[in-house]
Amino acid sequence: MRPRVSRAEIDAHLPLKPLMFEVLLALADGERHGWSLVRSVQQRGGFSRLMPGNFYRTLRTMLSDDLIETVNVRPPDDTDDERRRYFRLTALGTRVAAAEAQRLEAAVVEARAKRLLARTRG
Amino acid sequence: MSRAYRVLLRAFPRRVRREFGDDMAQMFDSQLAAARAAGESVIRIWVRAILDAVIHGGAERLSILRERRKNLARELRRWRWWMSVLKQDLRHALRLVVRQPGVTIVALLTLALGIGANTAIFSAVDAVLLRPLPYEEPDRLVMVWEKRQAEGVLDNVVAPADYVDWAKMNTTFESIAAYTPMTVDLTGVGEPVRLPAAAVSPAFFDVFRTRPELGRTFRAEEGVVGNQRVVILGHGLWQRMFGSDPSVIGRRLVLNGGSHEVVGVLPSTFEFADGTIELWAPLALEGVSQPLPRANHELFVYARMKPGVTLQQARADMDRVGAQLSEQYPQTNRRHGVWVMALRDQIAGPVQRGSEQSQSIRGGLLLLLGAVAFVLLIACVNVASLLLARAAGRRREMAVRAALGAGRARLVGQTLTESLVLGMLGGLAGLLVAYWGIQSLRQLTPEALPVLGLRRFGLDLRVLAFTFALSIATGLLFGLLPAWHLASQDLHNVLKDGTRTFGLVRRRLRLALVVGEIALASVLLVGAGLTLRSFQALLQAQPGFEPDGALTTLVTLPGRRYGTAETRLATFDQLEQRFASIAGVRAVGATSHLPLSGQDSRLGVTIEGRDAPTGSPTRAHPRAVTPEYFRAMGIQLLAGRAFTPADRAGTPLVGIVNDTMARRYWPGESPIGRRLVIGGTTASVDVIGIVADVRHWGLDSPVNPELYLPLAQQPVFGLTFVLSTDRDAAALTGSVREQLRAIDSDLPLSKVQTMKEVAAQSVASRRAAMLLLAILGVLALTLAASGIYGVMAHLVALRTAEIGVRMTLGAKPGAVMLLVLREGLVQAALGLTAGLGAAALIMRAFRARLFEISPADPLTFVAVTVILLTTAAAACLIPARRAMRVDPVEALRNT
Repeated sequence: MRPRVSRAEIDAHLPLKPLMFEVLLALADGERHGWSLVRSVQQRGGFSRLMPGNFYRTLRTMLSDDLIETVNVRPPDDTDDERRRYFRLTALGTRVAAAEAQRLEAAVVEARAKRLLARTRG
Repeated sequence: MSRAYRVLLRAFPRRVRREFGDDMAQMFDSQLAAARAAGESVIRIWVRAILDAVIHGGAERLSILRERRKNLARELRRWRWWMSVLKQDLRHALRLVVRQPGVTIVALLTLALGIGANTAIFSAVDAVLLRPLPYEEPDRLVMVWEKRQAEGVLDNVVAPADYVDWAKMNTTFESIAAYTPMTVDLTGVGEPVRLPAAAVSPAFFDVFRTRPELGRTFRAEEGVVGNQRVVILGHGLWQRMFGSDPSVIGRRLVLNGGSHEVVGVLPSTFEFADGTIELWAPLALEGVSQPLPRANHELFVYARMKPGVTLQQARADMDRVGAQLSEQYPQTNRRHGVWVMALRDQIAGPVQRGSEQSQSIRGGLLLLLGAVAFVLLIACVNVASLLLARAAGRRREMAVRAALGAGRARLVGQTLTESLVLGMLGGLAGLLVAYWGIQSLRQLTPEALPVLGLRRFGLDLRVLAFTFALSIATGLLFGLLPAWHLASQDLHNVLKDGTRTFGLVRRRLRLALVVGEIALASVLLVGAGLTLRSFQALLQAQPGFEPDGALTTLVTLPGRRYGTAETRLATFDQLEQRFASIAGVRAVGATSHLPLSGQDSRLGVTIEGRDAPTGSPTRAHPRAVTPEYFRAMGIQLLAGRAFTPADRAGTPLVGIVNDTMARRYWPGESPIGRRLVIGGTTASVDVIGIVADVRHWGLDSPVNPELYLPLAQQPVFGLTFVLSTDRDAAALTGSVREQLRAIDSDLPLSKVQTMKEVAAQSVASRRAAMLLLAILGVLALTLAASGIYGVMAHLVALRTAEIGVRMTLGAKPGAVMLLVLREGLVQAALGLTAGLGAAALIMRAFRARLFEISPADPLTFVAVTVILLTTAAAACLIPARRAMRVDPVEALRNT
């Protein structure tokens, strides 16, 4: 059974720091190790100067906030270095990511309504 | 590059480094590689990495500090909460203690008896068995014995020549010393007194590392004949006879007629197994004109192993020495080896029967410890039962507390706190009981028991710690049952139905407690009963002599003034005549070795006409006696003749054997007229008579071959005179002293005892054990009775309504009484069955401690059954009568 996550618990994490949101987004595809997470985050842009101390401190915070968790079993197709630690979303993390996405979406809608943002087609 | 980055990583707390250090380094390496590939400046990456480490490493460290502080605060809060709960519970428990004084007093009395008895016995066990010996590095101390494998003897005393060789040949001992007890007559300081003393090799005090309080210990040259005129005083003697005068050093004392210089005083802390020794003199084995004897065994040997040497190594070393001596002196040492024993295991000291004694003391103490543990268990059962009864009355209180939000754990915790408080208070009261118990134990302990530690037990810190632990354990033990019961109850229903019904489970539980209690008590009673019966049998055992109306006194003539056999014989003869002239004396005799006194010696003998033995060697225990000795002691002459004054020096040597010797060495024939040769001599002895066996070694010990020789042909230095009278033997003491003075005013009167006293002393430790077990048995019985009474009274109180209904429906008062009685007796019978069964199994292990009584002695078992059932019935009687008097109308109205 999936643990029940209360609304208040989710709201406590909002708004998310951009880097945290990016990490949650990257993990939405499945388990990843640290370096692969960094690349995925950087690929979406905005974090080109991300340094290890900052990144791993963020991961540690997310771990202790129960947004993500480490995985003991590596994916079978992984041929990488054995030392690597894998991370994945927790139930809370998934709900928080969704809530943050909704919040951003609402912000985008409002920005459009206030014509701060050009209306896209389709 | 990663190594340089790792230095940077040190900015992060260790926990982070351990968890993510590798990942971070890898990430940095990849970033560096990517930057290089993209043609970016490596320096810029490094600068960013340094900033990153400083900022985020610092932040991590801060957060860990914060976390720690938070944890600490949380711990503190939790601790405060616990303390407040504990305070609350304690206050509540103490309030209960005061509010229900009846329950409290009964529980405290019960616990005080249980815990107090345990503390008292433990103090003795601790002093004798657990505490280290009172010497420096006691683990290196050993005793060295002569081993006689063929005879199964591992701890025979040692011949002087062997000891001297051991001292020279061993490679594993740092120091080695011989010890032999003796008595000396001290004259010139007040009344002449005879003192227990010891002759020890000069190295003796080095072995024990004893430093004198005053003066010095012995010097090596004082072990040479001619230099041994020095003496060391025991602390007690120095205080008593010399008023703790420090100028006693250098003073000359007259001992056995010769002058000796006091060179030292031992400290009060020095303890020795034979605590009676008051004077220490050097044992001079060097410079002796004749070769030292190898066939006379008389020395106890103590040694200190070199540092690092194990007992096994010492044994191997001494085995080698023993084998070498056997080869060198086949005539005396052929069957002898050497046995090394840790002093710790020896415990008992240098008395011939020491090891046997200590075994029995160790066993006896453990037995008593087991018995008091039983008493404590019974006490626990009683208190648990009492608390269960009280809990029944407090169900509503508990239910209300639960309804107000107290968790189950909280309620159980509170109940346990109450038990612990009771336990601790019981422990405090127990200390009083223990104090009294230790005093009585000390009085019960036979003084002459050569057991180190038996004279120094008391209420010290170790014992107090034991009592404290025992109180807590006891509190938990008797508190667990009520607590468990509380936890298993549905408290909410209590409030709902609000009735006073008595749960079936609780009732069964309490009855089960009664059964258990009676079972425990019956085991203890059987143990006490068997010991009692053994002791009774022991007292009825035929000692082989007539102990009634016999007064004994030991007279030793100092060799200095009575050097020749003629003077000694003449003096003894004169004494005998003078003693015989005392009014009321029927016969006077004397012996070198008084039965039951612990005096003994042993000789090898050769039976003429019998092949040299292959298995057990022929040995006899020689006793020099005067012609009248057998008559004075009431020892029966079975065949042949007794000694006469005509059997004297110069006439053919004659001897009388005891019955055991006659049957062992001349099976199926009469020894009278046969001859034997005493080992080491060529003297041949004619056997002229057989006397009845005497229980020389103890009323419960087997009899060995004894060979009586006429004093006139074996002129010893010390004799014990036996005066038989029809009057009160003890009343003769004054006249005996007068007669002794008349012969030689410097001869001290020593060991004046009636034969009855000698016999009583020989069974003193058995008597003490029996008394203690009997006391514990009575204690157990009382506790069990009060337990049964408590449970039955409570059950009757709870069943008042039911009894009322029964009586309304026509039940007769007598029938109601029988109902209650029957219920109590059924539990008693169940407990008794279980207990007697267990006792039958347990007592088998103590067969060796019983004397002429089977561990399944029917009389004991029947007696215990009767006593317990009677007690149970008596305990049920009051509640049963109360049930009978229940007024049906009242009973029904109150429901």
